[in-house]
Amino acid sequence: MSLEAVLYRDWSGRLRPSWLACWPIARTGLLLVLRRKMFWLLLGLALLNFLFVFATIYLKAQVASQNPGLARFVDRVLSNVTGTGETYRDFMFAQGTVTMLLLGFAGAILVGDDMRQGGLTFYLSRRISRWHYVVGKLLSIGLLVSLTTTVPALILYVQYGLLMDSTSYFRENLGILRGILGYGLILSITLSLLLFAMASWLQKTVPLVMSWACIFVMIPALAGLLRRAFDDRNWQLLMLWRDVRLLGTWCFGGIDTDRELQLLLPAAVIVLLVCLLSMLAIVPRVRAVRVVQ
Amino acid sequence: MTLCEFDCVSKWYGPVIGLNDVSLSIEPGITGLVGHNGAGKSTLIKLLTGQLRPSIGEVRIRGRRAWSASAKRHIGYCPDVDAFYEEMSGRAFVRTMAKLHGFSNRVARERAEDVLAQVGMTDRADRPLASYSKGMRQRIKLAQALVHDPDLIVLDEPLNGVDPIGRVELTRLFRELLARGKTILISSHLLDEMDALANRILFICRGRILASGSLEEIRALLDDHPLKIRIATSRARQLATRLLALDTVQGVELNGDDELLLEVHRAKQFFASLADVVTREGVDVERLQVIDASTEAIFDYLMESANHPR
Repeated sequence: MSLEAVLYRDWSGRLRPSWLACWPIARTGLLLVLRRKMFWLLLGLALLNFLFVFATIYLKAQVASQNPGLARFVDRVLSNVTGTGETYRDFMFAQGTVTMLLLGFAGAILVGDDMRQGGLTFYLSRRISRWHYVVGKLLSIGLLVSLTTTVPALILYVQYGLLMDSTSYFRENLGILRGILGYGLILSITLSLLLFAMASWLQKTVPLVMSWACIFVMIPALAGLLRRAFDDRNWQLLMLWRDVRLLGTWCFGGIDTDRELQLLLPAAVIVLLVCLLSMLAIVPRVRAVRVVQ
Repeated sequence: MTLCEFDCVSKWYGPVIGLNDVSLSIEPGITGLVGHNGAGKSTLIKLLTGQLRPSIGEVRIRGRRAWSASAKRHIGYCPDVDAFYEEMSGRAFVRTMAKLHGFSNRVARERAEDVLAQVGMTDRADRPLASYSKGMRQRIKLAQALVHDPDLIVLDEPLNGVDPIGRVELTRLFRELLARGKTILISSHLLDEMDALANRILFICRGRILASGSLEEIRALLDDHPLKIRIATSRARQLATRLLALDTVQGVELNGDDELLLEVHRAKQFFASLADVVTREGVDVERLQVIDASTEAIFDYLMESANHPR
């Protein structure tokens, strides 16, 4: 078909800033994950936990308003859901575990395939730099993390507040909101950077899942053994997931013991170090499209 | 301002040299890029499309460094890799690529429809990319390269896997883009197609440009390789005798009673002399064919010269 026949038009308008291209990259990544049934299974698992807490909050509110006597009994049975910071922290911890599993499998689709099959070429030949690509991909991983941790926790927080008799819950528990957002941010940043770095090097699903499991299962198991063998709790700092959780607990203002307080700073340093190392590992992978092996 | 310029560009990958002190400018028209695997074609293309930075020298597009966003605005790249997101539809893919160029959602949608129509994929664009044939994938790749209306279109093996009808259609499309003032660089191993398409050829070997220019210009420079010409005429013997007297003719071979095979140098001068002889002798030439001025033949000669330098 000729160009005239299809009314091909030359373009002379203004283009949007390159940074806005991060959103289509993130959106594309997210849609790629959501198109796979396996990920819906894992998301369903995360949703199940959310629905359970959601229903518990609703049930407790209903019982409290209709039968205060029964409410004390229900409170005792369902003591985990109290509307305090611990409720949301524990909820996000549980969601985080499913998210970790989800990311292990999604890494190859989100990042690895671009490197392995040469899809990066399509991105880097556009009017964007490698940093726009990196930010877009990190955003897509971060969004995935937020969708399974921060967003459901925020919904539960709002639900709990709305089911209270007054709005005082929101005023009195602003710290919880800060905790949800803070822990969500730590989770998103750490996991995004780590996953991007690992997926850009390992690329395929199987090695990525194995390495992911090594970081979050094998190393913690080894750290546990070392801790027992040397009777030194500092070995626990090797457990990255535990370090992130410790920071999460701090965000929710839940650090009570001196021991935890002593471990907080080293844990923060380790998490920061992991983020920095991940960034350093990302740079050479996106510096240029590989032409020769 | 020159659309695209390489100024003393070299590119190393550790100890391996990808491109060695290349200076060139890509002129309006269709330029073919020819070279063996590992010759440096991919490096040259990736430097041109801003995906690699040169180790030394500069690649400039409309005066701007090739890897800058403002330079990439002018380039449309159709890579040889088939690395799509297979679950995505062709339409969604082209739209996403348009958005990456900074088009708003509405404009990206419109532009995507325009280019999909151009490459003849409108009615099949909603199918997932995984279900596309090789030829359809090529068309979608071409669509994403054209979606932002670039001045320079870089096509890496664009006709690979496309059926003969598709090739004719795409070739026509390239010519129409050329007529609209676009500059096209085609890298292809299908050298016979280069003959038909390209106004100018860049021969590349071991990271260096061996020769560049029109096929005629390059062929004329190959003094070591006399031009081979086949002439069909009913008076082959008479013509052979006359032509042997010319100092531009190196050899004459009679192929039956009605065909001559000549080896000549200084082609321009020879053709002028040939016209004189034919007119003077009243010889009826039925067919005249230069048999080794094709891209493939010239490429072979150039490679031979490169491999066995004097």
